[in-house]
Parts: sequence; structure tokens; C-alpha cells
Amino acid sequence: MNKISLFKGKQVIRYAFFIWVYLFCLASYALPKGSKRAFSGQLLAISQTMQQLITGIVTDANGVLPGVTVSIKGKPTSTITDDKGQFSIAAAEGDTLVFTYVGYTTVAVAVSVDSVVNVTMQEDATTLKEVTVNAGYYTVKEKERTGSISKISSKDIEKQPVLNVLAAMQGRMAGVDITQTTGMPGGGFDIRIRGLNSLRAIGNAPMYIIDGVPFSSDAIGNAQTSTNLPTTTSPLNALNPNDIESIEVLKDADATAIYGSRGANGVVLITTKKGKAGKTQFSASATTATGQVTRMVDLLSTAEYIAMREQAFANDGITNYPSNAYDVNGTWDRDRYTDWQKELTGGTAQMTTLQASVSGGSAQTNFLMGANASTQGTVFPGDFRYKKGGAHVNVGHEGEDKRFKMAFSGSYDVQDNDQPSRDLTRVSRNLAPNAPALYDADGNLNWENSTWENPLAALKAKALAKTNSFVANTTLSYKLPYGFTAKGSFGFTDLKHEESRSNPSTVYDPVYAATAQTSSIYVNATNRRSWIAEPQLQYQRALGKAKVDVLAGGTFQNQVTDRLVQLASGFSSNSLLYNLASASNLRALSDDEIRYRYQAFFGRLNVSWDERYIVNLTGRRDGSSRFGPGKRFANFGAIGAAWLFSEAKLLQRKMKFLSFGKLRASYGITGNDQIGDYQYLDTYQSATGLYDGSVGLMPIRLFNPNFSWETNVKLETALELGFLQDRIFATASWYNNRSSNQLVGMPLPSTTGFLTMQTNLDATVENTGLELTLRTVNVQGKDFGWTTNFNISFMKNRLVSFPGLASSSYRNQYVIGESINIQKLYHLTGVNPQTGVYEFEDVNGDGVITFADDAQTVKDLSPEYFGGLQNQIRYKRFQLDFLFQFVKQLNWNAVSQYSPPGAFGNQPASANGGWQQAGDISNVQVYTTGANGAAATAYSRYALSDAAISDASFIRLKNIALTYTVPTYLKGLQCRLNIQAQNLLTFTAYQDGDPEFRSFNYLPPMRVISLGVDVKL
Amino acid sequence: MKNKQKMTRYMMPYLAGCFLLGLVVSCDSFVDVAQPNSQLTSAAVFTDYNTASAAMKDVFAKMRDVGLMTGRPVGLSHLAGVYTDELVSYQTSATSAYPFYSNALTATHSYVQDLWNSAYSQIYAANAVLEGVSHSSVLTQVQKNQLTGEALFARALLHSYLVGVYGACPYITTTDYQQNVSVSRLPKAQVYGLCISDLEEAADLLPENYIGSMRSRPNKFAAKALLARLYLYNGQWAEASNEASAVINQTGLYVWEADLNKVFLKACTGTIWQFSPAGTTGNTQEGALFVFNAGPPPVVALSPDLYNAFETGDLRRTSWIRTITSGVNTWHHAYKYKQGSGNVATTEHSIVLRLAEQYLIRAEARARQGELSNAKQDLDFIRANAGLAGTTAVTQAEIIEAVIKERRVELFTEFGHRFFDLQRTGKLDAVLTPVKVGWNSDDSLWPVPQSELLINPNLLPQNAGY
Repeated sequence: MNKISLFKGKQVIRYAFFIWVYLFCLASYALPKGSKRAFSGQLLAISQTMQQLITGIVTDANGVLPGVTVSIKGKPTSTITDDKGQFSIAAAEGDTLVFTYVGYTTVAVAVSVDSVVNVTMQEDATTLKEVTVNAGYYTVKEKERTGSISKISSKDIEKQPVLNVLAAMQGRMAGVDITQTTGMPGGGFDIRIRGLNSLRAIGNAPMYIIDGVPFSSDAIGNAQTSTNLPTTTSPLNALNPNDIESIEVLKDADATAIYGSRGANGVVLITTKKGKAGKTQFSASATTATGQVTRMVDLLSTAEYIAMREQAFANDGITNYPSNAYDVNGTWDRDRYTDWQKELTGGTAQMTTLQASVSGGSAQTNFLMGANASTQGTVFPGDFRYKKGGAHVNVGHEGEDKRFKMAFSGSYDVQDNDQPSRDLTRVSRNLAPNAPALYDADGNLNWENSTWENPLAALKAKALAKTNSFVANTTLSYKLPYGFTAKGSFGFTDLKHEESRSNPSTVYDPVYAATAQTSSIYVNATNRRSWIAEPQLQYQRALGKAKVDVLAGGTFQNQVTDRLVQLASGFSSNSLLYNLASASNLRALSDDEIRYRYQAFFGRLNVSWDERYIVNLTGRRDGSSRFGPGKRFANFGAIGAAWLFSEAKLLQRKMKFLSFGKLRASYGITGNDQIGDYQYLDTYQSATGLYDGSVGLMPIRLFNPNFSWETNVKLETALELGFLQDRIFATASWYNNRSSNQLVGMPLPSTTGFLTMQTNLDATVENTGLELTLRTVNVQGKDFGWTTNFNISFMKNRLVSFPGLASSSYRNQYVIGESINIQKLYHLTGVNPQTGVYEFEDVNGDGVITFADDAQTVKDLSPEYFGGLQNQIRYKRFQLDFLFQFVKQLNWNAVSQYSPPGAFGNQPASANGGWQQAGDISNVQVYTTGANGAAATAYSRYALSDAAISDASFIRLKNIALTYTVPTYLKGLQCRLNIQAQNLLTFTAYQDGDPEFRSFNYLPPMRVISLGVDVKL
Repeated sequence: MKNKQKMTRYMMPYLAGCFLLGLVVSCDSFVDVAQPNSQLTSAAVFTDYNTASAAMKDVFAKMRDVGLMTGRPVGLSHLAGVYTDELVSYQTSATSAYPFYSNALTATHSYVQDLWNSAYSQIYAANAVLEGVSHSSVLTQVQKNQLTGEALFARALLHSYLVGVYGACPYITTTDYQQNVSVSRLPKAQVYGLCISDLEEAADLLPENYIGSMRSRPNKFAAKALLARLYLYNGQWAEASNEASAVINQTGLYVWEADLNKVFLKACTGTIWQFSPAGTTGNTQEGALFVFNAGPPPVVALSPDLYNAFETGDLRRTSWIRTITSGVNTWHHAYKYKQGSGNVATTEHSIVLRLAEQYLIRAEARARQGELSNAKQDLDFIRANAGLAGTTAVTQAEIIEAVIKERRVELFTEFGHRFFDLQRTGKLDAVLTPVKVGWNSDDSLWPVPQSELLINPNLLPQNAGY
């Protein structure tokens, strides 16, 4: 086996070599020919009428404007303004100079006898449709795009005090649903683009591409070391939001089919900042911020709690409080009250961010270099820090004849996370409100004669994580004759992640006299390296009114993930805990090398006629090592079309108010290979414990080599309209995506030995939705400007078909015609006034309550609709941005997280008012210490009933940012002050903490308020 | 010049075509990846005795670490102890183990599910060894016999505990998921019957001498010792007596350890089968669970009821129980295993089958068959070793009663003996109703996990009361 893999390794090199040979053959064959043609073109231009040299300065409201393209209408001549905004260009009298700059209204000036032309350009908020959109393998003008692509740019990202890229996207993109999974630094976000496509919870992640390099979002943490997070550590935290120029999300078949098997859940394209031609610009910014937990859960007070406990004992017929009922038997002060949420998670986290960059360039070469550093404190009591820093370099160069182009971008990001190994949120919500003081009179941890586990002791167990991430990409392209361009894109990622969770003896009550001999530490080291090579050939040709753009290319990708998880225990001193050599016991729990190989070829054919009719065909043939032999290759493709009806002469004459109108549609097939590696093998692997002196071997899965790709058929139609010179711009898109051949871990009864088996299920999941966006330029003046952006997404997820559902293991999870994110629940009919226990609807009337028969109430936990309303108001030197995010949804409430009221441990305030005696009408059942079996059983059903689900819709002032541009008297110096806030206000009827949040007993998202200064020179 | 231009014009599409063709061909083998270096194919595992043996060892390691037989708090020694009158829980009612103590289990309880799942997962691994070994053309017959015997032994042992706590349950004999996905529950007697036939076969196949170190791999007599227990549970008295005798008579192998403080040491000659430890240092999980040095107890202590059940002068009460005093409070903890947690040198292994149980099995089996004097002889042998005078029981019923009582004080905190004894003798309600607030007669069995019933309705109906 090893022999073969070595052979394969050589093959990779051979492929890479072939690709290079292709590229260079093409390039060198065409080179002498091409340069001559360009030369003769120039000659032709000069041999016209008398030329004169026109010079001038281009400015905007803030001063000189470097980098503006100055061209002559109808002629190939062009130049750009230098760092002082100056330009010079040869033009003839009667020519028209055209000044263009992205984001500004184009200015045209006729050349007269005057040889000096000074121009002041206006920022134009309505040129959106001229903006180029990154579609991955190609770029397309906003107005000519046939696919569904959402975009946010650095202008939006910069105004948010966030450290995670996905946080910056929340509420700003139609069809993109993002929820934070924990407020713990280093934690992650869930992103769903147009709903859940796969029945596998982990099969719904989009593909991330940074400057052309796929960046795997597969977890790098380990369950043993990421204990303070609801899911193991995600690599996406490595990305620095401040380095990002734009984020594009590809949604429909037209945009994603070129990513074939990896496009089913959408594609997130991240483009880093690049230098701009013109004067060298230095910029620096500093921000300081504070963060606090957004919302706490409303819990019982001590008086209410003690009353509940006393009643519970009385109900259970227990007259003498047991010796371990410390809360009520007098061991603890029965009147003491501590707000444990405030005490344990109510702190204020301090945050600072510093960054600096220098950028600039000439017409041919541009560069940008940036560095950043940030730290974030903690809301837990104690000294915990999350530090993040990085450097980013971007260099672009274009040959003098504009044929050869290269671009390099590289980012290196470092994270250093020091957190407690346990999130105190759970204990803060469960501790009895009269639990003892944290510290004794001497300032030591108070163990109250061993009657409780002091929650602060847990903070001595730390979770440390260090992540270094390097992403680099080089793109080379060469323009060949006859409209051909050869391109090569070569990327590399290297991610190193070290994570540890310590469990020192000091976390234990001193009476156990635990020594460092009992201390232990889990250590996880994950390395992930990948390379990608993508040779491409492009052909562009204009034939009369028709324009043809053809792209063909290939992908070779190799990714290797190594993971070593070790457990060390038995130290001579706790100060040696981080030295594995000092452990008397050291065990490697797992040592894995996971190889993933991926290979594809893809193509695109784009034809447009008269800039009015556009057809876009994309296709891809993919092969992945994640499937067994014979199942590895599959084809994907899409067709997209657009009709710019506003270009029609009739409309242009009759409907002047309509400045833009486009109808587009797309249809195609994408796939999904997110199933983990090696799942098709029938194998054993090393177990974790010794037996009889050696490590055992265990079977790891039920064997099924025959599974194959999940396919996702996407259909979309959209209408885009611009009115009044696009001051009102609206889009509406409707989509219908169907995922079939579902690749799932089919749940099995454990009598099979395993809980799941990988297989393709003949089930179809449909996502249908409507996305509306509206952008209005309400006021656009010199001193005052106001623009509004609104987006709303309605979506419906539906299980269309599932042959054999009734007899399959999924029947208690899914219902045909309902969403796949439903929960089947008992229907609570109330508390029986006679017995005092919860009662549920006996749907089949057999007199017995069983989940299969009686949990027939269906609640959909997917959002019904969500969106954002963003406003930008500019007045003189002030700018105010604010974003309201809104979500209509249901969520689990606190009921599902607690044991039956009456037991030892606090309860949500909703547990007040328990039934006491026959005849009582109550919403809360009889309190029990746990001895009342009927009540305990009823509560376990209650937690799985419709009473455990609440409306968790909310409107949240997600982001507000006020920026003031300070007047400066130094030419070219810009200084801005800003105050920003994230999650500032939340309006919701949800009682049990943060409504956005779905991982109940973890630290909720934070409310962050920041102050910053930003200087450019 | 013009020619060359023309040539280029014609050549370009060809070059482009070649470029594309180059991508299309040649590529398929790129996505072949080598097998991961951390995994072995199932076929390869059984082509070598050491790897096949490692597969079998892991079944025992898993029994030790997860599921019903572990000495950790999630195992029977703890849970069945608090469920009955052996142990008192000092954990808060919010902990997962507490519903066992308050007899308020529900079918969705995580331990109820985990215990069921891990038992069947271990049974799968045992069946995988059986199948792998039978298909192997490399292993010798001796090796095959040993591994097959061990796998049958493990399968029977696991099913015997499953049927004890969940009642009627499926008996799994294959790795074929298509069969196992829709299995039905078999009546208790039928499960015992299948356990017994597996064990009889195992006893034939297993070697008489122990392989490996410290009696951590079961031999023929481990199978017979377990057979004796299951015959007893199944009411086959003569067979129970015979199998117990077969073990007790191996006096060369099993030498009675008279010193109570040495019975639970790893080299005790009265041990029939014990788990090998997970590390190179450290002691039993039972020790870590039960032993504490200051009150209140972190997890559990022995119930006053059990402590008072020892007769005056019973040496086991002083040797196997330790009293902790703090102020006015006293607690007793199981002290069979003396070593708590901590990475000290290993002196104790977790003992699953030991000689004393065989004497008590034979005593009861003999009594049930009316061999009263022989029964008393076995019973008194155990009592004498504890420093007690011979039993005063005379009638058959009295002797059986005395044996059950003796089992309580001899076998406490060992894999739920008390629970199974009360269950099989029908005394759960009579004994536990007065001492357990939450006890009701439906508590004789634990619920089958909800999730399991949902996926496989053939497992219905749920046990009464859940």
C-alpha cells in the first residue's frame, strides 16, 4: 500500500510539470508575435490629428484623488492620476476626456484649447451595477452577471468591532443565515446559505475560498481539548476581517456549478485588500472596546427557590431533609442570595485592536502590506485573554505591454487563546441561589466544608490554543494573440494548531489531598497543509455585437491533515504540567494522517449579444478521494441567462424613469462531498486504552463502500430594477433547490453495534425561498447624504420525498412535507389538577403516552424569514451607519435545559407557582426532589413537548457606527474618530437569554462598544 | 510572416484542445489515496495473531472502560448500588446518576441509553472477532480456538448483564446490520439459554491455563465460573453446582486466599478473571470511585443498612469497609480496593470473577436441590474465613435465605450482585419499598432507551412503568 502512495506522490509532480509545460509552450509561442502587434497599434493612434499635452489635477470632497483613470473617448489612450492627483495625457482638440474611478460618478470633459483640465469628482452611491463582482474563476460586471451573488465590502466590515469574518456578514446578505454558537473567543458561527440541503448536520457548510485558495472549514479542534466550545475549534477564526476587501457569496447554480461537487451549500469568496496605483498611503487605526453578555436568563430568587425546595420535600413526603440537601437543611445560609450569572459571567471584557498598513503603486505595480494585533479579555472572573495578530502582503504587477500579469497575496495570522476549560455559563444558571460564598475570609477559595464544588476552581483548568495560519496564492497570466489568455493559479495553505486542556489537581477540593500525581493534560496538535494548482485558458472575442468569453481549466488539490492527541498524567508538580516529559504517564490517544485528494476540470462559456442578452454555461467534472473506487467521479453543470430589457430602445424612450432592468434565470446541478475521509474503507484503528500491556484495535464503522455524491439541483429566477438613475435599486430572486441522493449517516439501532452507517438515501430535500433587496439613495448632496439598504429572505425547507420513511429509522425525526429542521413534540394539555403532573395529548388514544405515537406536534426550528435594514447617513464630517437585523424564528426555551423543578439546583423564573394540592390549577407541575417518578417522567416529556419551544423572533440593533472626520490642516492627512457598537439593543419576547443563540448553556454573544481612531496619510 | 500568423491562428484552437485533453486524460489516479496509516483493513487484522488478539483485547478494554461493567461512576457497581440498598448517593439531584438513586429513571436518560449502546457496541466487536477469525486462513487452530472462546465468553457475559437490567433483550450473534436493525427482544430464559450455549462452547475452546499476564484473559474456568452463575440465575441447580465444582476443584490453579486484605490484590490466587488496567500505573476505577479520605463523600458511601447487615465480628466489615468521621458525621466506604485515584504503582486490578462467588453459587444450588449439609458446608467455609461461626440456618428456606444474606456482605459493590439477587429471588419490592422513597414495583427493570424503541419498533413494548 505504501509503495503505491509513493508512486502517486511522484505523479503529482508529473502533473504539475505537465501543466507548466502547457502554459509555457503557449506563452513562448505567442510572445514575439504579440508584442509586434501592440507596437503597430500604437503607431496607428499617433498618426491622427494634432496632439497636445493636457495636464490637470483630479480632486474629490476630501482632497486629491490618486488612481483615477483618465482616458480619451473612442481611443485606446489612457493614464491614471499620480499620488498628487495629477495626470498628463496627449489629446487632440475635440476629443473627450473621460475620468473614471470606482465608486465615483464618471466625468467627461471636452478638450478645448485650454491645456489644463482640473476635475472634481463626486462619490456616487448608485454605480453599483458597474462594480465588478468576483465569481471565483472569473469576474463579471454587476449588471452583466447571470448568477446570484451577494457581496459586502471592507466599508461594511470596517465599521464592525468583530474579530470573526462571519460575524461581519450577519444581517447583511439576503439568503445567508448566520448564528453565533458561543460568545467564547475562538468559538464559531453557523452559516447556512439558502437553508439546509443535507440531512447530515455537518454536511451544510459552504466552501470557503480565500484569494482563489480553498480553505477547509473542517474542525481542527478535538473534543477533549475544545471542551469550552459547543463544537470543536473552527479554523475560520484565523481570518482577519480587517484584511478583507470583499466577501462574495455565490448562491445559485449559475454561480456555484463551476465549483461542482463543493458548490451545493454555496461558496464564500474572500478577497483580501490590494494596493492601488497612486501615492503611497500609510494608514493606522486603534480601537478600544468593552464587551458584555447580551442577555441573561431570568432565574428564581432565594426566597422563591427555598419555597420551591420545601414544597418539593413536602410533596414527596420527606419530612427530614436529607443530609446532602445542603441548600435547605441549614448547612447553607437559607437567606443568602447571589446572582450567579452576574458573578460568573457578568464581567466586562476589554478589547483592543491596532492595525497599520502601507500601500501604493504605479500603473504597473501595486503593493499593500499590513499588520494587525488585537486582544480580547473575558467576562469570566479571572485573567483570560484571546490574542490575535497577523500580517498581510499583496503585490501585483503588470508587464509594460499589459500582457503579462502576476499577483501574489499572502497572509499569516497567529492566534493565542487562553481560556478556562469550562464555560461557566451552565453552572451560573444551575447553582442554587443560596450557594455559599466563592471566597472565605482569608481570600482562599471557599469549599464550605466540602458541601459544594466551588465554580471558580474550574477556572484553574485551562484551555489554551495557539493557531498559526498561512495562506498564499500566486496568479500568473499571459495574454496570447487572438483573444487567448493563459492563466495559472497556485495556492498554498499551512495551518498549525496546538490546543491543550489541563486538569490540575488544584481544581479539586483540598480535602481530597489531590497531588500533582492526579493532574492531567490533554494535548492536541493539528497540522493541515494543502496545495492547489489551477491551470486555465481563457478566450475572449468580440464579433460584431456578440461577445464570447470561454474559460477552461483544471484543478489539482491535495490536503493533508495530521492530528496527534495525547493525554499526559501524573506530574511531580503542577508547574510542570505543560511539559510532557515530566508526566509519569503519556499516552497518544490518536495519531491520524488524513489525506484528501481532489481533481477536476471545469469550463465556462459566456456569450452576450448587444450587451442585452447574456447566456452563461458552466460545467465541472469532479473526482474526490472521499469515495470508493468506481464512485469517485461525477459531472456538474449549469446554464444561466440574463436579459437586460432596459437596454431596449423602446423602453429607453417610453420609460425614462426606469434606468435599469434585468431578468435573469439559472438552472443546474451541484454536488456535496462533505462526508469526511476514508468512510468507504472497512477498517480497524487503535483504541485508546491498554489491555494486557498493549493497545487494542477496534472496528470503526459499519462497512459500506458504495455511497456516492449528493446532488443538488438549483433553479433561480430574478428580477433587478433600477429607477431614477438607479437611486432606487431593487432585486427579487426566487429559488428552488432540491438535494437528493442524500449522503447520510443513517441512524441505526445500537443493536447493530453502531449508531449510524454512511449511505446514500433516496430522499429529496427542497429549499424554496424569496430574497428581496432594496437600495435607495434617499438624499445625495454635498453636505448631506442618506442611503438605505434593506434585505429580507423568506425560506421554506421541505422534505419532498423519503421512500420508506415510515419504516426507516428516520420516522421520528422527519415528516414528509415538513422542514428537515423540525422537532416532533408531545402536545402539552396542561397540569392535571388532581395528580399535579403534566399531561400530554394521547394522539392515538391507546391510553399510553409514547414518543413514536404521541409526539406528533411539529415545530420548525428554521427561521421563517430574516433580514437586515441598514442606513448610512452622512452630514458634513459625520457619518452614521446602523444595521437592524431581524429574524422570525422559534427556539428551545430554558425548560429543555433543566431537571424537574424541586430538585437541588436553580430553575428559570417560569418554574414559579408549582401545583400543590388536588384541585389546584397551575401551569407548573408538582415540585419533586426527584423521588416522584411520575413527575420525573412527565417532566422528561415536558422537555420534549411544545411547551419547550418558544417564539424567539427578534429585532436587534446589530451594528451602529458613528464616524467623524477630523479637520486637518496638513495636506493629505485624514483622521477619523469612530464609536461603534455591536448587538447594542435587542427587542424580543424570548425570556431565556439571547434569542439568536442556540447553544443554550454556553456563553451568549457579546454586546460590544468600541472607540477608535483611524489615520491616513 | 503572414504564413506564421495564419499558422498561429490555426494552431491556437488545437493547442487549447490539447490543453483540455491533457486535463481530461491522465487524471483518474490522482484521487487514489493510500490507506490511512492509523487504520488497518478488517481482513488484514485477522491475518496476524497479534492484531487479531489486539481486536479481542479491546473488547475487554471497552468493558472495563465504558458500559455496564466499568468501575467508573457510569457502571453497574455504582448505579445498581445506589439503585438498591447498597449505596447512598451524595451527589446533587442534578447529576445524571441521581435518578438511579431516587429510582426515577426515564427512557430518555442518557445513562440508560449509553449503557445499552456500549454493551451492543462491545457485542458487535466480539462478533467481528468471531467472524474475522473464522474467515482467517492464517491463524492456527489453537489461536482460533482461543480467540473464538474469548469472543463467545465476552458475548455471553455482556448479554447476561443486559438481560439483568433491561429484562428481555435481543441476542446478537452477527455483525450483519441488516439482521440486527430489526431484532426483537427474547424472553429472559431464552437469553440465558443462548448465553449458556455460548459459554459451553467457549469452555470447550478456551485453554485451561491463562495466557497473557495476571489472569486478564479468560480461560476455560472463567467460562465455567460464569456458566455456574447463569445456570443458577436460570434455575438449573444441578448444572450450577457442577460448574462451580469444576472451578473450585481446580485447586492447583485456584488457591483460596484466607487473608481478606489480600483478596483484592492483583496477584490473588482466588481470582478467576480480572480486567487488566488501562495504564502502566494507577489502580482500579472502583477504588477511585468508592475510596474517600474526608467527608462528605464526593459521590457515594455505603448505606447504613448494608453496614448494619454485617454480623458482629464479621472481619469483612473491618477489612473491606473504612469509616470516615468528620465532626458528628460518620460515613463508610467500600474498602475492598484500597487504592483510590492517583498514579501510584499498580497493586490492584478490577476483579470480575472470584472464587468466593463460586462457593456461594454452589451453596445455593445445593440447598435448592435439597443437599442441605453440603450447602451449609460451602456457606460455612465463606463464613469461617470472615471469622464467623457456622450458620444457624436449618431448613432449606433458611439456608437459601442465609446464602442470599451472605452474598450481600461478600459481594457488595461488585457489579450489582445485590440487585440481581433481589430480582431473581423476587424480593425487590419487599426489601426496597421500606428503605427507598421512590421505589415502586415497576422498578425491577430499567427502561429500554427511548431512541432504540423509536428506531426499532420490534423492541416494543417498553418495560412496564416507563
